[in-house]
Amino acid sequence: MRPLDEKETTVVFEKLFKFVGNNLKNIVENPSHEGPDSTPGRYCFRLHKNKIYYSSESIVKRATNVSRSNLVSVGTCIGKYTHAGNFHLTVQALSLLASNAKHKVWLKPQSEMGFLYGNHVLKSAIGRITENIAPGDGVVVFSMSDVPLGFGVAAKSTQDCRKLDPNAIVVLHQADLGEYLRMEDDL
Amino acid sequence: MGKKQKQKQKIVLPPDLPPEIPDDEVEVSDEDLQFVKENRGYASLLSTLDTQSITKHVTRVADAKEDALEKLYEERSRKSALKKEKEEPGLQVDRVDALPIKTLDGKLHYRTATKKEEPENGPGEEETGEDGDADKGLFKLTKAEKRAKLKKLRKEEKKQGKDVAKVEVQETPQAAVLAEVKAELTAEEAFESKKRKLAELGDALLTDPESNIKFLKEMLQISKDSDPIIVKLGLLSLLAVFKDIVPGYRIRLPTEKELEMKVSKTVRKMRYYESTLLSVYKGYLQRLMALEKKPLFQHVAVRCICALLDANPHFNFRESLLDATVRNISSINEAIRKVCCSTVKSLFTNEGKHGGEATVEAVRLIADHVKAHNCQMHPDSVEVFLSLSFYEDLGKSEKADEDQKNKYKKNKKRKNSEASNQLLENDRKKSRKELISKTREEVEADYKAASFTPDVTEQRQMQSETLSAVFETYFRILKHTMQSIAARPEANSGALSAPVESHPLLAPCLKGLGKFAHLIDLDFMGDLMNHLKILASGSSNPGSPTEKCPKCLSVSERLQCCIVAFKVMRNNLDALNVDLQDFSVHLYNLIVEYRPGRDQGEVLAEALKIMLCDDKQHDMQKTAAFIKRLATLSLCFGSPESMAALVTVKNLLQKNVKCRSLLENDIGGGSVAGTIPRYLPYSTDPNLSGALASVLWELNLLSKHYHPAISTMASGISSMAVANNQLLLSKSSPQQAFKDLSLELELSFPQSSSLKLNNKRRKTNVSATSPSIGSTAVTSSFDEDELRRKLGSHFTILHDIKENERLRSELDMTAQSLQLYEQYKKQKKQRSKPRSKLSAVAK
Repeated sequence: MRPLDEKETTVVFEKLFKFVGNNLKNIVENPSHEGPDSTPGRYCFRLHKNKIYYSSESIVKRATNVSRSNLVSVGTCIGKYTHAGNFHLTVQALSLLASNAKHKVWLKPQSEMGFLYGNHVLKSAIGRITENIAPGDGVVVFSMSDVPLGFGVAAKSTQDCRKLDPNAIVVLHQADLGEYLRMEDDL
Repeated sequence: MGKKQKQKQKIVLPPDLPPEIPDDEVEVSDEDLQFVKENRGYASLLSTLDTQSITKHVTRVADAKEDALEKLYEERSRKSALKKEKEEPGLQVDRVDALPIKTLDGKLHYRTATKKEEPENGPGEEETGEDGDADKGLFKLTKAEKRAKLKKLRKEEKKQGKDVAKVEVQETPQAAVLAEVKAELTAEEAFESKKRKLAELGDALLTDPESNIKFLKEMLQISKDSDPIIVKLGLLSLLAVFKDIVPGYRIRLPTEKELEMKVSKTVRKMRYYESTLLSVYKGYLQRLMALEKKPLFQHVAVRCICALLDANPHFNFRESLLDATVRNISSINEAIRKVCCSTVKSLFTNEGKHGGEATVEAVRLIADHVKAHNCQMHPDSVEVFLSLSFYEDLGKSEKADEDQKNKYKKNKKRKNSEASNQLLENDRKKSRKELISKTREEVEADYKAASFTPDVTEQRQMQSETLSAVFETYFRILKHTMQSIAARPEANSGALSAPVESHPLLAPCLKGLGKFAHLIDLDFMGDLMNHLKILASGSSNPGSPTEKCPKCLSVSERLQCCIVAFKVMRNNLDALNVDLQDFSVHLYNLIVEYRPGRDQGEVLAEALKIMLCDDKQHDMQKTAAFIKRLATLSLCFGSPESMAALVTVKNLLQKNVKCRSLLENDIGGGSVAGTIPRYLPYSTDPNLSGALASVLWELNLLSKHYHPAISTMASGISSMAVANNQLLLSKSSPQQAFKDLSLELELSFPQSSSLKLNNKRRKTNVSATSPSIGSTAVTSSFDEDELRRKLGSHFTILHDIKENERLRSELDMTAQSLQLYEQYKKQKKQRSKPRSKLSAVAK
């Protein structure tokens, strides 16, 4: 387990910035109440075995007592490095993204299932969408009752969505809650 | 002898004094003597007084008015003529015949016995002249008209009779004074006669415009008089006449070719009528345009222009009328502006009169006007757009038509193909078919021309043109406001005394955008939203909303921006529900900046209604944040505002069951609180405020509010958590609640002074909701200043009075003490005196 170096930090932050925009500041600066310490500490990012963890400092401090081979996880895993060296956000980052999301899409109840099976979000599935989404922005997907379901990348801007064919893809799937079942072993 | 010569003489300045012929030189005949004897008194008066008065007049030439002078000269010449007549031997004056006759062109003809040809000549000429006129007029006088004319002539004769009578009366000893009086009288009389003439002409025109059309010219001539009142009267009477006689079609003057052709009498008559009407109309308009620039006549001219435009928007020269109207639409003079605005509005609403062309032109002109004035105009000038109306079904019906046409075409094609498959049976049949189709087309064209149904495509085109002009104006205003805002911070850094550029047109512009939101093209939507967002954020760089620039838009204006954005989005749903996150953030921050006295509660209530109550879905966090903030601020708002806020809170809580955890006494919010464990009241983003972790303790305080309605509402909300889910949905909107309470407030506490002050403010607010946000904001701030000043002066006065009282009481005290001391002294003396007396006695 080690802190991220310069390059890794920029990669991770760029990825997060796509989803949360200026709220990235909140993610970094939020006081943490996790851990046994009475005074609230900060959150920090750690790299361990190709995975990036988001954890409070007090827990990280205590995790140093565990040997590297025995440590499975610390805090919340938010993403991992692929074999090709790219960084991907994983579904565990969802709650972090959802609470700070800038661009949101709400799905109609009948099409929630389709998304949770790992499909893209179609125009017909959208119950609601925030304005000013540009293609390429990170989008967090919610159910109509405000439960975060997953996230993805916008394929079309909000303006384009209006005239779009009902079967066209609006959000490209990246991660969804269904992965907890489908890819239990990988996570 | 030649009276005309005498009249000519009067033009020459300075005029000759009447020849002073020494008495010796005059040859006195017997007849003369006899005449003089008979009329001694008369003649003597003349000879004695005339010279005096004349010399007086001559000496007074320098300071007398020209009109008066002229009259005096005229009199003098007349008098001298009389005198000569009396002195000349051969002249026999018939008293009755001596009355001069004034012809229509204003020349005076004197009938005398010696010149027997003249009296015959004069009337003869007159008659011939009239006949010529009549010939020119290409019509014969009708009986009624002849009668009217005769009457008029008689009247004029009578008038002249009076004139002469006056002349005679005036020849009394006090001639000098009377001359002046007479000058005044004649002026008045001229005024009266002109007035009468106007009335007569107008009346004649109205009774029979076709035959009396040439009177128009006379009326126009009168309206060019030097007397401003006559001019005004002339303009107005011409207006009345034109309003009545202008035909319901556009007059097209015949071309030269057409003029050469031989036409029937009626057609020629008609042409004459139309051309005269048109030329006079043109002259009248030119006169109006010229007078419109003079401040004295501006109001009348503008009124005439507007009335003409209102009455005949289809007629010739509409362009110049429109131009003048639009030019005055943002006039400083309120009356003129009102007239112009109402005219333009009626143009917009009664499109049937002119088929929509005038609308397009007017809108275009206003747009150009706004551009030329760089958006610095009165808000009324853009507010007229609100009365425009657009028909949406025009496009649909047209599409349907097209579809049908396509169908027909297909059918035809099929038929054609079938026909081509078959061999041509015979040519005759084909030609007959062609003939039938041809006649059918002709009939259709005729029907179309006759039925007056407006062409759909044409109308559509006009509408789209109008729309584009309107939106061009609106976007220009928005952009201008943006630029002025963007320029401010720089100006601030440079010099604080930068000229404050106001944006008076923003309020009506936003109103109009709200109204026509459903017509905005989707392509503009993105830009529009961006503009509105920046305006709503109130600063040029949306990244730092906390940065305060002093001359930003007012809170009301920014709220209005948010409302418009929501309206635009709602009206352009197209089955896509867009969440306007940024605008909600702005609203969240604007609620804090709201001040009950300064800003308009109406706007806040509308914003709450449109942005919070009408929106169906909300994030839980956002809703909770709004609930918390509204509850907190309703503690410090005035009662109407807090009522509106509470109604909104109730509405939100009813719709979002999860947010009712706010009503439970559980700090931390439990599992729903999300990642933010503590309520951050100063957060600028409702999504990050962590309001779910808080408790609505404000309701408890509010249930002890002095206003019964608010306290019941608050306790009703706090009991919501316990009650079952199927609460009755409250029908009242925040706007309604606000209105009710503010009315109640106005009605209820008229006595208590503090509330009175509050009331006053509210009254100004309520009464001024419609015109413009900027102005009210200005007035309210002005009010505050004034109030402060007044209160200050009041306090100083009070202070002075107190001081005075204090000093006076001190004075009284000292005076009293002095008095006491004196009394004491006296007593002492008295006491000592008896003692001394006693001692004396003792001694």
